[in-house]
Amino acid sequence: MKSKSSPKLRPTFFDAIVVVLVAALALGSAWWFYGGLGRSGPATYIITHQGQEIARGELRQPREITVEGQYHLQIVCDGESIAVTHSDCPTQDCVRTGRATHPGQSIVCLPEQVVIKLVGSGSGPDLVIG
Amino acid sequence: MHSKTKDIALGAVLTALALGLSVMENLFPVTAAIPLPGVKLGLANIVTLFALYELGALPALTILIARCLLASLFAGNFSALLYSLMGGVLAMLVMIGLKQCRRLSVFGVSIGGAAAHNVGQIAAACITLGDTAVIGYLPVLLGVSLITGTLTGFIASLLFRAMKNVHLSH
Repeated sequence: MKSKSSPKLRPTFFDAIVVVLVAALALGSAWWFYGGLGRSGPATYIITHQGQEIARGELRQPREITVEGQYHLQIVCDGESIAVTHSDCPTQDCVRTGRATHPGQSIVCLPEQVVIKLVGSGSGPDLVIG
Repeated sequence: MHSKTKDIALGAVLTALALGLSVMENLFPVTAAIPLPGVKLGLANIVTLFALYELGALPALTILIARCLLASLFAGNFSALLYSLMGGVLAMLVMIGLKQCRRLSVFGVSIGGAAAHNVGQIAAACITLGDTAVIGYLPVLLGVSLITGTLTGFIASLLFRAMKNVHLSH
């Protein structure tokens, strides 16, 4: 059979343009998302479940939160970081993401629609002396 | 002579092959190494690429939608359908557009499709979660798509080379 359109099978210079465009999109989205985030002051976590905020607090205050839905998530804030320590969701991406420690980081469980975001309060002092 | 029956049969075989590749790559989850939702090799995209060049845009889109519907049906996970459909359809539209540029090889079309797939999935996640936090994953996902797009483009190029001596229909 003669194919309806035969593709070029070796990389061309124009493929490199596609690579550059994708890389530029990656860098642009990184700058847009992470560039403007406040990174001073104590980090605050915000947890949303199916679009509704269910918990908010400072990262330095240890706490355990359980999310009950179709799946069950155990979220532990140990005073320095926050992580999903246990989940019975099928993908386990939320558990594998590990610990979030800095503003801008987030942990997402897509099956249960849980988002844990760390944001900078921006209210902390720039410098403490004396 | 164009044979509609053979095209339908070929479409069914390619849909089954794409489904098989989707199931196979779930056995080796890339997320174990890169723990981000949506990271995958995208082996089924080889079939999509092949169908796009060999059968045309509309049959390729039909195969893609059939694969997404059947994959979510078999997995019993309809929540994943929106992600795969938005990612897949956006990737297809971008690949149809890039294919018009005759100076691009199958590598460029594949990389563009892989990147668009991730953008579509992130958009679906933003809609589902009602939160833009997942956009933070986009830079890494796009970086990974450069590698996975090159890999699937390479496999597709081997496939097209092999297919030069195969006559599917007349």
